[in-house]
Amino acid sequence: MVESATIAVERREQKGTRAARRLRSEGLVPGIIYGHKEHCVPVTVNASELEALIRHGAHGLLDLTIDGTKESAVIREVQWDVFGREILHIDFNRVNKDERVTIEVPIVLRGSAPGVNEGGVVEQMLHDLELECQAGNLPQQISVNINDLHLDQQITIGDLELDEGLAPTLPADQVVVQVATPEEESDGDEASEGPAEPEVIRREGGEDQGDGD
Amino acid sequence: MPLMPKRVKYRKSQRGRVKGNAQRGNTVCFGDWGLQALEPAWLSAANIEAGRISCSKFVRGEGKLYIRVFPHKSITSIPLETRMGKGKGEPDFWAAVIRPGQIIYEVAGLPKEAAMECFHRVAHKMPFKCRMIGRRQTF
Repeated sequence: MVESATIAVERREQKGTRAARRLRSEGLVPGIIYGHKEHCVPVTVNASELEALIRHGAHGLLDLTIDGTKESAVIREVQWDVFGREILHIDFNRVNKDERVTIEVPIVLRGSAPGVNEGGVVEQMLHDLELECQAGNLPQQISVNINDLHLDQQITIGDLELDEGLAPTLPADQVVVQVATPEEESDGDEASEGPAEPEVIRREGGEDQGDGD
Repeated sequence: MPLMPKRVKYRKSQRGRVKGNAQRGNTVCFGDWGLQALEPAWLSAANIEAGRISCSKFVRGEGKLYIRVFPHKSITSIPLETRMGKGKGEPDFWAAVIRPGQIIYEVAGLPKEAAMECFHRVAHKMPFKCRMIGRRQTF
């Protein structure tokens, strides 16, 4: 059984954009708890605590302490600002430890591929894997060992060594990581090719469409 | 050959204004690290190419470079010492409209220090302030 992290949340009375902005300026993140056909509970979370939790991986089951009671939940959605600097809102989904949930878990590459020394480049095609499993057994991440990956070889979802009870929702032949031969890229020294201007789409019959201004 | 569309409906476009922030294309999608614009600008095809060359020289043989922008907009200009009037000028270059938050390049397969060094070189070619960001966790 994976250990679950704990985070304190407080019930929130204020609603709306202006109240949410005020909370954010006070170092709090507005959020909501929903699920299990119970009432939605608007909450606030300490921004620095939440960022630390997300930075260190918060893909597993969380224990939320609200008004002295404990609730187990998973993070369902995190909204960031345009620049990805601060968290705007967070959704918690109530789950039981024995309940089956579908959640995305990050894939982390471990080791160094010998295919790189053979002239290849490691290409990670899949960065997150959607898994269906018991909430209590949710892994923080999936480690993929690439120490045996040679040039033009690949690891698919079917090749992953997943714990018992973890079922990926994607097909087994989907590539996770591969060592591919790098494409030849020009340095911009060669002579220019192709037309200097793009072709203008004209109506059939050769009628001119004008310059568009 | 700089980037430009293969086929267009109109040769010339109105200038417009670059308003607001990038609501799309503002997360690292394909690689591990991205170069994010912090100011609005027109990024010419020559600028994109210059950035690509300086970045690909650095990542060659190790990582992979992704270009997240494309110059869809034609920018016209009139020749020097031309009297006023006589209509709109001819297309001079092609540019991508960049809003703050837009990811311009992404690299994969490089450690953080190498990616930072790479984007430090690329940032000198960009006509706006930019910064490096990492991949965001999805839930």
